[in-house]
Amino acid sequence: MKIGFIGLGIMGRPMALNLIKGGHEVTVWARRAESMQPLLTAGARAAVSPSDAAQGNELVISMVADAPDVAEVMRGVAAGAAPGLVAVDMSTIAPGAARLIGEELAAAGVDFIDAPVSGGEVGAIAGTLSIMAGGTEAGFAKAQPAFACMGKNIIHVGDSGAGQVAKAANQIMTGMGVLAVAEALAFASKNGVDGGKVREALLGGFAYSRILENHGQRMLDRNFKPGFKSWMHEKDLNIVMQTAHELGLCLPGSAATAQMFNAMVGSGYGEEDSIAVLKLLEKLSGQA
Amino acid sequence: MKVGFIGLGVMGRPMALHLQRAGHELFVWARRPQSAAGLPATLCATPAELGRYCEVVFTIITSSADVEGVALGKDGLSEGMVPGSVLIDCSTIAPDAARRIAAKLGEKGIHMLDAPVSGGGQGAIDASLAIMAGGDAAVLERVRPLLDCLGQRIVHVGPNGAGQVAKACNQMIMVAAIQASAEAMRLAAASGVDCGKVRQALAGGSAASRVLEVMGERMVRRDFSAGIEARLHHKDFGLVLAAARQSGVPVPLAAVVNQQLNALMAQGWGRDDTSSLLRVLELL
Repeated sequence: MKIGFIGLGIMGRPMALNLIKGGHEVTVWARRAESMQPLLTAGARAAVSPSDAAQGNELVISMVADAPDVAEVMRGVAAGAAPGLVAVDMSTIAPGAARLIGEELAAAGVDFIDAPVSGGEVGAIAGTLSIMAGGTEAGFAKAQPAFACMGKNIIHVGDSGAGQVAKAANQIMTGMGVLAVAEALAFASKNGVDGGKVREALLGGFAYSRILENHGQRMLDRNFKPGFKSWMHEKDLNIVMQTAHELGLCLPGSAATAQMFNAMVGSGYGEEDSIAVLKLLEKLSGQA
Repeated sequence: MKVGFIGLGVMGRPMALHLQRAGHELFVWARRPQSAAGLPATLCATPAELGRYCEVVFTIITSSADVEGVALGKDGLSEGMVPGSVLIDCSTIAPDAARRIAAKLGEKGIHMLDAPVSGGGQGAIDASLAIMAGGDAAVLERVRPLLDCLGQRIVHVGPNGAGQVAKACNQMIMVAAIQASAEAMRLAAASGVDCGKVRQALAGGSAASRVLEVMGERMVRRDFSAGIEARLHHKDFGLVLAAARQSGVPVPLAAVVNQQLNALMAQGWGRDDTSSLLRVLELL
């Protein structure tokens, strides 16, 4: 399939590479021209604009930072779109913003699918991302061959915006999950008990989670290299809290968690992995 | 002086009347002209027209977007107000929105003060509002006689936006105190104790506060009809949390209070008084 790909950051680059590996004909565009180079070496064509990245393609995928960026590149895509184009945004943005962009593109005759991912850089490189999609059945079906190159667990969650709702729910779970593991390990440590042993014991029971397994180990190793940067997790939790505010939805646990992530960014841990929340707990309890 | 006034709601209407009674010539604009009915004022067709007549214009409307629209939009104040004139925005909006609007007006030589108020509808009627101003100190001194018609405590907090920061701090403390009062009233009632008596006892001690006095009384009487509509506090908490986020400052208590306000909104109590936070606790 002929695919345009916009946004070649930590996630976008390996995702686009996997599309090329999957035999698709890929055109790339990125704001910084130098980030296109590795893709061009791998056989991609360079576009000069988002509109150019849409031209002549059946599918366009974006992977950028935030809702205003998505809206901007998608406006360009709509301008260059051939009839029947499906545009897929895999960035994490607010469900409401995704729905608005979907409506705008529908008016221009472009089928828009929101399809954020979970699995981080590791999942992007391995092609094992979880992909949660919102939009029309037909649009989802058309994007499916591309999704299959980038991800494993690919779910059509519902209508436009539903993918972003699932992603926000994912960030509630992972945000509170990381904080829960950090609190459990801080609890063990303040009690003079070996956190590594506690983790091992818990892994066999109902408290088992992938976060306890992976993030827990990295906390014990005190390896705060990202992974998933805490400022990005903070941004995603802000999407959760703003959506809850608009809906009149009471989320006390998420609210407390979001404030811890807010404090992480304020304390200069923004560029570290979200497990740096452990350091914040230690600071508050005089364990640092 | 020719004074313009936009936003003739619970707060704005008595404020506009105080200015008129002090001898100023009043010009008003209202999105719904009927809200200006009965006011001794000249009704203008657009904010721009009002701006052309007035040396000083007051606004007290709901959101950042509303103020931005009235000040800078099509037929907005900036199309009418002359260089040297002053916009005093008494609305509660985001500090960065206030800074942005002030900068845009500044390009045309129009001064702006962000001057949000605290004290509620009663404070507006009694002309006893607390006014927290951000902007040029000299401009504030120029318009201080007008503000003296509206309030007793007028503080110059700092440059543009500083008034709105102070208001955000005000809202954080006030609504957290309402939540604390609600929890105390709930605990008293659940323990089989007369919460009116508890409130009375507390009023004499270290926990005494205006909130416990006014909102606590409403809770005891279970009179949840609005004093201050809770939806406005809910809106303000959106601003508080956004400002905290921008500064990377954790506000754990405000975050929890915001969730209680979310629940309050979900119950459909947004147009009732914020003392309805008691009813949210009773749901659990």
